[in-house]
Amino acid sequence: MSTRGRSELQINLATNIVIISMAMLFATLFMGYAIYRSSAPVWPPMGVQRVSLFLPSLSTVVLFISSFFCYQVSVSTKKNELSKGHKYLNLTILFGLGFMVLQGLLWNQMKSSGLFVSSGIFASITYAFTWIHFAHMIAGLVALLYLKKILRSETKNLMTKTTSVENFWYFLEIVWIIMFITLFVF
Amino acid sequence: MNLLKMGVSAGWLDYFRPPENISTTGHLIDDLFNYTTLMVTFYFILVCIGLFGFSYLYSRKRNKTPYYTYGNKKKHLIVTAFIGAAVFLSIDLNITRIANNDLVNTFWKFPDYKNEKVLRIEVMAQQWMWSFRYTGPDNEFGTADDIVTNNDLRVPVNTKVLFHLTAKDVIHSFFVPTVRLKVDTIPGRITRVWWEVNKPGKYDIACAEMCGTHHYLMKAGLTVYTEEDFNKWLANSSLIAANTNDPQDANLAWGWKWEE
Amino acid sequence: MSGGYNEIHPEPTTFWSKYIFSFDHKVIAKQFLWYGIFFLGLGGLMALLIRWTLANPGVPVPVLGNLIFSGSGGVVPPDTYAMLFTMHGTIMIFYAITPILIGAFGNYCIPLMIGARDMAFPLLNMLSFWFAFLSGVVLLISLVIPQGAAAGGWTSYPTLSTLIGSPGAGQTLWCLAIFIFGISSTMGAVNYVTTVITLRAPGMGYFDMPLTVWGLWLTAILNAIFVPVLGAGVILLILDRVFGTTFFLAGASATSGSGDPVLFQHVFWIFGHPEVYILILPAWGIVSDLLSFFSRKPAFGAKATALSMTSISVLSTVVYGHHMFTTQMSPLLTQSFMTLTMTISIPSAIFFANWLGTIWKGSIRFDSPMLFSLGVVFVFGLGGLTGLHLGTTTTDLFLHDTYFVVGHFHYTMAASVLLGGFAGIYFWFPKMFGRMMNEGLAKLHFWGTMIPLNGIFFGMLLVGYGGMHRRIYNPFIYESLQRLIPVNNLITTSAILMGFFQLVFVYNFIKSLMSGEKAANNPWEVGTLEWTIPSPPPHHNYDIIPVVKCGPHELGNPNLKTGRDFQYQTEELVEA
Repeated sequence: MSTRGRSELQINLATNIVIISMAMLFATLFMGYAIYRSSAPVWPPMGVQRVSLFLPSLSTVVLFISSFFCYQVSVSTKKNELSKGHKYLNLTILFGLGFMVLQGLLWNQMKSSGLFVSSGIFASITYAFTWIHFAHMIAGLVALLYLKKILRSETKNLMTKTTSVENFWYFLEIVWIIMFITLFVF
Repeated sequence: MNLLKMGVSAGWLDYFRPPENISTTGHLIDDLFNYTTLMVTFYFILVCIGLFGFSYLYSRKRNKTPYYTYGNKKKHLIVTAFIGAAVFLSIDLNITRIANNDLVNTFWKFPDYKNEKVLRIEVMAQQWMWSFRYTGPDNEFGTADDIVTNNDLRVPVNTKVLFHLTAKDVIHSFFVPTVRLKVDTIPGRITRVWWEVNKPGKYDIACAEMCGTHHYLMKAGLTVYTEEDFNKWLANSSLIAANTNDPQDANLAWGWKWEE
Repeated sequence: MSGGYNEIHPEPTTFWSKYIFSFDHKVIAKQFLWYGIFFLGLGGLMALLIRWTLANPGVPVPVLGNLIFSGSGGVVPPDTYAMLFTMHGTIMIFYAITPILIGAFGNYCIPLMIGARDMAFPLLNMLSFWFAFLSGVVLLISLVIPQGAAAGGWTSYPTLSTLIGSPGAGQTLWCLAIFIFGISSTMGAVNYVTTVITLRAPGMGYFDMPLTVWGLWLTAILNAIFVPVLGAGVILLILDRVFGTTFFLAGASATSGSGDPVLFQHVFWIFGHPEVYILILPAWGIVSDLLSFFSRKPAFGAKATALSMTSISVLSTVVYGHHMFTTQMSPLLTQSFMTLTMTISIPSAIFFANWLGTIWKGSIRFDSPMLFSLGVVFVFGLGGLTGLHLGTTTTDLFLHDTYFVVGHFHYTMAASVLLGGFAGIYFWFPKMFGRMMNEGLAKLHFWGTMIPLNGIFFGMLLVGYGGMHRRIYNPFIYESLQRLIPVNNLITTSAILMGFFQLVFVYNFIKSLMSGEKAANNPWEVGTLEWTIPSPPPHHNYDIIPVVKCGPHELGNPNLKTGRDFQYQTEELVEA
């Protein structure tokens, strides 16, 4: 096996290790959250209001739609319908950006309802976790743009690269869903 | 054999000794340390015999033909497994068992101040000072007769002392080498330790968790009194406290409600 | 797929692509080596400043004192002292050991020893070095800013490391530097793991890999999983310092709902304990191989050693609480961590037995790589055994945060890794640079390191047991510690001596680079793949990808007819 001809196994392995690595970062955050929450007498802490569910729920729907389009990208690529793939990829990116805009709106809404970053542990967790997820969404966006660049018939290992980017995007989706449920719903 | 207690110096052997032990529970730690040291020294000597012995016996000069083996035959695996098991059973399991016993039966057996004669003290650590609060004769914390001292802990012999500790700013650690114990003091939390000492005198207390530039200066004095002297000191100090302490002084009002 | 040397990044032609922004793992390895040696020197200098202060409190530092500490008359002031021990630890762990053992040896040895032309992802490899470089720059900047560098210990526990205890930018820059370094480490880990799994030459099963590669591979796996945990911890600390979050602020300083300083300790040590195994695994691997090579017989129980190293890697993930016994975790947690910590003895004892079994009935050549490897057996044996005193909760209640701990981790981390690293450098220098190092100077370097090293770290075990706690500027304001002054002086004298002998290494290294005797393909006469090609190897390593037919430790087989006492891994295995 040479180094130039990237093999499927190498691409999949590397992608999975990166996802595991990032998962460990988020797992650490959630472990901390579990400890804060279980040792607090009441949650949210005294005097702190829960964040209104509308923007987080809308964000979840938008991100879910983005993931759906991402799935369509790989379906099209498998069938070698690359122009369709590009269309779906554009929609994936669009809805991903939409999610990020909604996150910005969410932070604004939190601020105007009096929940600032320095407003204690509940605010700390809500802001920090969504910021860190947002940072990884930027990485995901870069990955999608990279996919846009290589979504051509000449690209070697195109399907493997497509599923790798797709898996990373799903990973971000899953992390968001866990955040949505644990930070906003319950 | 406690030459240190007798004030006799044994020359360079002094360097291999811990500080003198003045507590009723310190010997548990010293004995376990000595047992562990004995066992690990035994195995380390075996390693050295192998290391130096084989280096000597099997140098190229002395042994021209090496023994070609992968070390994976049954007999080799048995010897290796035996060594692993021997180390684990003779040292690890033993010291765990002993330590666990000591923890459950001694160190975690906090005295019950309602049913036993226990001296309760609240400890506040801050950058860079130790503060100690006594209840005074009314046996209640937070009253006018509380005695608050800085860097000055005084206890009687042969009495269990129960400490509740916290820190004001950063993490510190309440370390009394002659008692062999330390416990961290953590902002926002109360930690606990109890001990009993049996020899009057003056000893050092140190902070054992990096807490800033003057961490090294966070030295407090432990004075161990006879019971009589302690009661005299307590009564006297309490009187002074009740008469002179300003209830508005924030520096004195750091106590908290004692909870088990 | 194999064969034909066109299938690799083309040979670079410009100065920048050859030496600065190179894709070649061999060049990147050397970059990590220079980087690591620079920081090793800086960290070592800091250690000497610390030792000077401890032995001679209030006395100006000779030569450097008036240059660096002119404001205090050449004496190290207490706040600078705190920065010194903080940065000494940080630099040695992240900027010296990691780049040398993992960055340099990992990069150099893995592709060569598995018969590959380069790592799986050469671009990622290059980025990994430059992120490490950036991290180093950020850390160095923190040394010169007005309020100084981080000074809360390399463990940077809150709330000392929050704005309460560390108001300046130094601690924030420290967190940033560590985070950037973590990115570099993770990139490297992805590369190493993928390379070992996918680029082994045909015929090389996992148990045909040299143990050096096993050590580096296990290290990379642990890195990939646990570095992000530290990453999360420092991000939260940065957020506390810069954005006013309250993750680690408690008590009077927390406004709504409490943060938890001890949570940082949990996060830190969940990373921290695997980290110490990350640091030692490459050295274990190197020593396991070298003991075999210089005893001219196979590594005893090589498979068992590989499996022991693997099981220690796994166990290392569940023992971290033994760093936190004095924080009063629940009894259940305390007991569990103590018991689990004890289990590490079993695989450790097994590969120690295997090391001794390797030299048993060997025909030992005492070249410098072998001397250093034997040194590792000694120091790791001693240091590892003192871990038992610390893993036991009750004795730890006395020993925690004393010099006993410092002695323990320096024996296991500093001494073992340093000696293992030197063994590796002396061993692979001919391959890397095509020249031999001077053996006489190497042996002088060995003894000049080994003997003082024991003076330093055994002395620390003694003063720690004597009750001296750590991270203090002047221990002798405590009357009970004054009897230990002679031991303290012994430690400092040994440190200065050991520091001096490192100059022998530096001189030997530079001289050999310039005018050392030219090295043959295989000066040590061993059979692993890197010795089948010229010293130094060509850009593409192997003209034809080798096919592996036997293990890496085929030495001393009495039935060999080639006139050599070893077999190359490409030769058909001769039955004994």
